[in-house]
Amino acid sequence: MIKAEGLTKRYGAKTAVNDIDFTVKPGMVTGFLGPNGAGKSTTMRMIVGLDRPSSGSVTVNGKPYAEHAAPLREVGALLDAKAIHTGRSAYNHLLAMGATHGIGKSRVDEVIGLTGLESVAGKRVGGFSLGMGQRLGIAAALLGDPATLILDEPVNGLDPEGVMWVRQLARHLASEGRTIFLSSHLMSEMALTADHLIVLGRGRIIADAPVADILASSTRTAVKLRSPRAEQLAQLLQGADVTITTTEHEALTVTGLTAPFIGDAAARAGIPLHELTPVSASLEEAYMELTQDDVEYHAGGAAAVGVAAPTNTEEVAR
Amino acid sequence: MSATITAPRPTGGSKLSTGGVIRSEWIKLRSVRSTIWSYAIVIAVSVGMALLLSALTNFGDTTVPADQHSTILLQAATFGIYFGQLVVAVLGVLVISGEYSTGMIRSTLTAVPKRLPALAAKAFVLFATTVVVGLVASFLSLLIAVPILAGKGIDADFSDGSLIANVALSALYLGLVAVFSLGVGTVLRSSAGGIAAALGVILLLPTVLQVFAGITQAQWAVDVMPYLFSNAGLSIFTPSFDGSGPEQWQNLLIVLVWTAVSLAAGALLIKRRDA
Repeated sequence: MIKAEGLTKRYGAKTAVNDIDFTVKPGMVTGFLGPNGAGKSTTMRMIVGLDRPSSGSVTVNGKPYAEHAAPLREVGALLDAKAIHTGRSAYNHLLAMGATHGIGKSRVDEVIGLTGLESVAGKRVGGFSLGMGQRLGIAAALLGDPATLILDEPVNGLDPEGVMWVRQLARHLASEGRTIFLSSHLMSEMALTADHLIVLGRGRIIADAPVADILASSTRTAVKLRSPRAEQLAQLLQGADVTITTTEHEALTVTGLTAPFIGDAAARAGIPLHELTPVSASLEEAYMELTQDDVEYHAGGAAAVGVAAPTNTEEVAR
Repeated sequence: MSATITAPRPTGGSKLSTGGVIRSEWIKLRSVRSTIWSYAIVIAVSVGMALLLSALTNFGDTTVPADQHSTILLQAATFGIYFGQLVVAVLGVLVISGEYSTGMIRSTLTAVPKRLPALAAKAFVLFATTVVVGLVASFLSLLIAVPILAGKGIDADFSDGSLIANVALSALYLGLVAVFSLGVGTVLRSSAGGIAAALGVILLLPTVLQVFAGITQAQWAVDVMPYLFSNAGLSIFTPSFDGSGPEQWQNLLIVLVWTAVSLAAGALLIKRRDA
């Protein structure tokens, strides 16, 4: 359980996190979503006391993180895959981290096995790929078998198998009753992993709801259709709240009308349909709608909102 | 969702403890190459210098007065410390600046969120290890110098214990150099900046002040000279011939103050700053 109240972080004149309140509940995966620079990492760093809030407070399992007698057993955090000394082996890194809490070799071996690092555990971290660094970071987070897990962009740099593994791990740990707080700027990832979403934009919470609700609230329920007489059908369907776009030859995407309505209309006019597919809005689209006014760094020029923006280098580079 | 909401289950088990943090810092210190290299160099240089100095010592036909025998032996045994202090200063900075440059500090401070115990454990482990290495280096050097110099009419006199004590004090000084530099590194957070600053204080400051005093004849510069870190430090284990200047314990006190100020500044900043 993580609870933030009036949490604020200012860096000089810039407000990174602006007076936010939220609760992350146990037993589910809570996604922390937002464009790059929205304040996700800053918020997570404040949770474990690396950054001091300018005002407000955040507690974990009822206490500020630093007040716990065994912090690593309360919270496991992956905040930065590169928060590891490059000259030390993965094994020694974990051993040193664990030693602070009296966590010994057997648990270190366990998390190494759990994260699939056996073959590289004795190697120095400097030579690790981004994906291996990420796995090591997750291994460190799991060391204390914590009740709460905070993972900042955990799938960054992982191969598809690794992404799947993180997803299953998160779901599994949540099913054991733990609190899982997971950030990403990839909505597609969240759609598959999270039960609940907190969406952050420019340091403010713009949505805090179950994934299903956020999907349902999207206005962009669309219908894809295919017809040899697509143009004629488009004219027939035109209306005030209806948007019709031609996606490719003889294919249309219609928003504002239901699939049965379109099918009936086509039948009455004797227009053959080769495809009629209702498309529920993707989380991606819902997210874009939510954040379009809150994106800190827009891709310049022609890239329109609705196109997945190129990932901003700021967070990726770190 | 098939979640069975079991109460979060701290499985009991061990807690964050001072001993644990010390063990953690020991694992960290011994598991990077810079540590091994630095300490190996300290020992090698010390032993090498002792060998060189004793082998090259040549008094011709003159008989060295007996009261100077201990001083000559002490010099041979501790000459390597002049170089060793520079190596240890670099190591002291790297122990913390390496964590800042790699991001490791965030892992460290997440494990020990109150922060000061981590810095204190670092200082303790670094001090203890460096003193032990210093003892090994200087006593090995003494062991080498004694027989060689005995062949040249310089006899070791262990009767009053002052030779042994001074050799041991040189190791203590080495430990304090490391902790002083750790403080500097904590304040500056950068390897390059930290090393420059630490070596600047240890190596450059006495030279610069010396030159300055020579040029300007400023009395204050001459007065300040004995209070500089390395001037006082090297005098901890080398008693002055004529009995001028601060006594050994006073020199130790001066170095302790430098070290305390440096570490306290580091402690203040590590506690305050965002990591």
